[in-house]
Amino acid sequence: MPTASAIPVPLEVYRFQPGVDAKPSYRRYELELSPHTPVLSALLKVRAEVDPTLSLRYSCRSAICGSCAMRINSKSRLACETPVGPEIERHGRIVVEPMANQPVIRDLVVDQASFWKEYERIEPHLKPDPLHPMPEGRPNPMTPAEVERFHDTPRCIACAACYSACPAVAADPAFPGPMALAKLYRFVVDPRDGAHQDRLVRIQTEGLWLCLRCHLCTEACPKDVRPSERIRDLKEMAIAAQGATEHGSRHAVGFKTNIRAAGTLNESRLVRQTFGVVGMLPQLPHGLAIWRKKPEVAKRPRPIEGADELEKIYEALDPEEPR
Amino acid sequence: MLRHDVVVVGAGLAGQRAALAAIEAGRDVAIVSKLHPLRSHSGAAQGGINAAVGAEDSVDTHIFDTVKGSDYLGDQDAIEFFCREAGPIVVEMEHFGTIFSRSDDGSLARRPFGGAHFPRTIYAADRTGLALLQALWERLGSERLTLYAEWDLVDLVVRDGRVHGLVAFDRTSGEFAEIAAKAVVLATGPAGRVYAKTTNAHSCTGDGIAAAYAAGAFLKDMEFVQFHPTALLESSILITEGARGEGGLLKNASGEQFMVRYAPHVKELASRDVVSRAIVTEVKEGRGFSGPFGGYVHLELMHLGRERVESRLTEICDFARRFAGIDPVTEPIPVYPAQHYMMGGIGTDIHGATNLTGLYAAGEAACVSIHGANRLGGNSLLETLVFGREAGRAAAAYAATAPAPEMHASDLEAAAAPLRAWSARTDGEDPSTLRTEMQRTMEECAGIYRDAAGMLEGIQRLRALRARFEKVRVVDRSPVYNLNLTDALETGHLLELAEVILVGAYARTESRGAHARTDFPKRDDARWMRHTLARRTPTGPALDYAPVAFTRFEPTERVY
Repeated sequence: MPTASAIPVPLEVYRFQPGVDAKPSYRRYELELSPHTPVLSALLKVRAEVDPTLSLRYSCRSAICGSCAMRINSKSRLACETPVGPEIERHGRIVVEPMANQPVIRDLVVDQASFWKEYERIEPHLKPDPLHPMPEGRPNPMTPAEVERFHDTPRCIACAACYSACPAVAADPAFPGPMALAKLYRFVVDPRDGAHQDRLVRIQTEGLWLCLRCHLCTEACPKDVRPSERIRDLKEMAIAAQGATEHGSRHAVGFKTNIRAAGTLNESRLVRQTFGVVGMLPQLPHGLAIWRKKPEVAKRPRPIEGADELEKIYEALDPEEPR
Repeated sequence: MLRHDVVVVGAGLAGQRAALAAIEAGRDVAIVSKLHPLRSHSGAAQGGINAAVGAEDSVDTHIFDTVKGSDYLGDQDAIEFFCREAGPIVVEMEHFGTIFSRSDDGSLARRPFGGAHFPRTIYAADRTGLALLQALWERLGSERLTLYAEWDLVDLVVRDGRVHGLVAFDRTSGEFAEIAAKAVVLATGPAGRVYAKTTNAHSCTGDGIAAAYAAGAFLKDMEFVQFHPTALLESSILITEGARGEGGLLKNASGEQFMVRYAPHVKELASRDVVSRAIVTEVKEGRGFSGPFGGYVHLELMHLGRERVESRLTEICDFARRFAGIDPVTEPIPVYPAQHYMMGGIGTDIHGATNLTGLYAAGEAACVSIHGANRLGGNSLLETLVFGREAGRAAAAYAATAPAPEMHASDLEAAAAPLRAWSARTDGEDPSTLRTEMQRTMEECAGIYRDAAGMLEGIQRLRALRARFEKVRVVDRSPVYNLNLTDALETGHLLELAEVILVGAYARTESRGAHARTDFPKRDDARWMRHTLARRTPTGPALDYAPVAFTRFEPTERVY
């Protein structure tokens, strides 16, 4: 057991009571704790011994209820499983703030209505195929290999750390967020679900392609759900199900054909591939502005040296697909 | 005033299953819960859910194992019903979408668990509760019911032996509200936080049990408290029985697999009370390890191999690595027993009905009783579903013909008055001081081993704490998310229930299941083959007793 002696732990905690405080402030608490003490225990010590007015969500203290996600030294994570020692080593103090992308109710408590709404919006329940009713009185058979296809999505505890960390959520309210998409993936790969195709077609125009592929969700996730990887899988499955029929998927496919052809991007061609000739028109002023600053974008780029090597890689990766 | 046919308090598995049953019966249903349903403590259940579906197994064996596990205090008629429903209700959860672990042939995988003759515990890795909770919530769907999430139950409104509704407050606004209901189902879980060392979540404060007790419901068998043998040292985070089911071994400081001496046939897979006492005895007699967090023993998984440990015990690998800095693949896990489960609770019949008309209870908040003096691992998830559904059905049936509830304006005022007084005080004690002292008292006086002198002292200390609670003070004056107020409310509930546990335990002059007395070490069927019923009086719990239902198994000595 780790038994290292106590270290000084300066905690700087975000405090805000809307309607009472004009603006948020940070209150500093000086604690002495052993380095493996979780941040949640530190906050509860503050509540019990220093300031019972500090407000936060918490329950299980074992990383399974998903209540205590917050920003700890700017990273969205569970307070119950973040030890103070490494934070102090790295930052010299621990700044505790509410999650981002959700309005503050009080102190570390945020309003999760939008997070739950996105989760509901992907219709997170089995939609059995009426042509294949569930076996009466028996469980559906499912092989361990089929269970593997869920990857770690069943581990999701809906803590919203990914939602807090996601820049796409911050930028665009139409993006469902990593958790909702990982949950959607869980239903799309479920052999008991009869609505795979509908789910994939719908999500193509309901935010799937707004993901910025930054992987911050995967970094934030305390349960290794790896939402960004499942979003990538959803994109592949959506194209396989429906073809590239929508801006996001057409951009992705166009990107690939560009690289495959020349090893570099032909940007004006990519715009045409994404939006189509007519669809390009509204982009024209934007394109002209870029062209004025950077005339070379209009030129067809020459294939890079060794582009034929690239073709071999593509062929090895995807022997089925014609050039 | 808010108004529903059936109001379920608590949104864990029992509460959700009750709500689903009541909705399916056509009633207008609401759930009041202090947590979002997906944050309920049911999600923390790890090991699995029992159903005798294996070819070698039988419902009768499940019944017998449960009766024996209960140390013959479980009601055998209820246990028979319970075990018969197991297979169908697990299949139903699979059809709802639960992602269970599977065997190579595609069937539901099963693992061995303590006190069971056959591998009977169906599981989803080591997060079975989470898997069930997700599937049930996703099936139930929020659109079919009214959800009052992050609302605290303050009081039930009961007149002339009938429930008319309840008073609760919305944490987010701080406003009190009356909810009129023809029937109320309490599914608020346990009160594990009466103890200092518990695997239970911080939210397990027995709110529904305390409200039922205050309203005149009987609490049954509250002295029977289960201590889980393997909680992580210091934090008391649960390490599932599944770890032993998968082949994990318990070793003392000299490397001896000591369970061989206590339960020669089944060793690590003896019933939980037996294994917990063995660990305490090893430490007490100097054969354990010792450290700054007290004595402990080792749980070894190293011999199982990385692949098996990481795939079947994923969460506990994470727990041990993150919370104790220990890698179970290469090192032993330091464990010691901690409070885990309450066999007792609000006394109900097989349909969840209490002694108050219109009031039902299910799950760990209730006591049917199927667990008697000791619960078997894997039976509590099953209980939440089987009896959650029964309580929901019964509440819906009652609500279909019940007269309209009568709520008065004064009901809200009466319920809110003490809370307002706490907040108005300018001096007095913080609830957390009282809670900490209560937890220490219960740890010292109502632990795994008990005796008359210790319990008497505990009762006196608790009464002093209750007197001090009369002057509790809430310093936080904000209406919004005032956890200081919630703390005080919960501490009041815990103090009431701690006293019921100790008074019942003091009166029961025998050892049975999880109730182990050093001054009365033997089971005494002639005097104590009966359930304890506690009723609230102004001076403390008044005890009465009720017979145990027998169908086919005569009590014999319990050996594993």
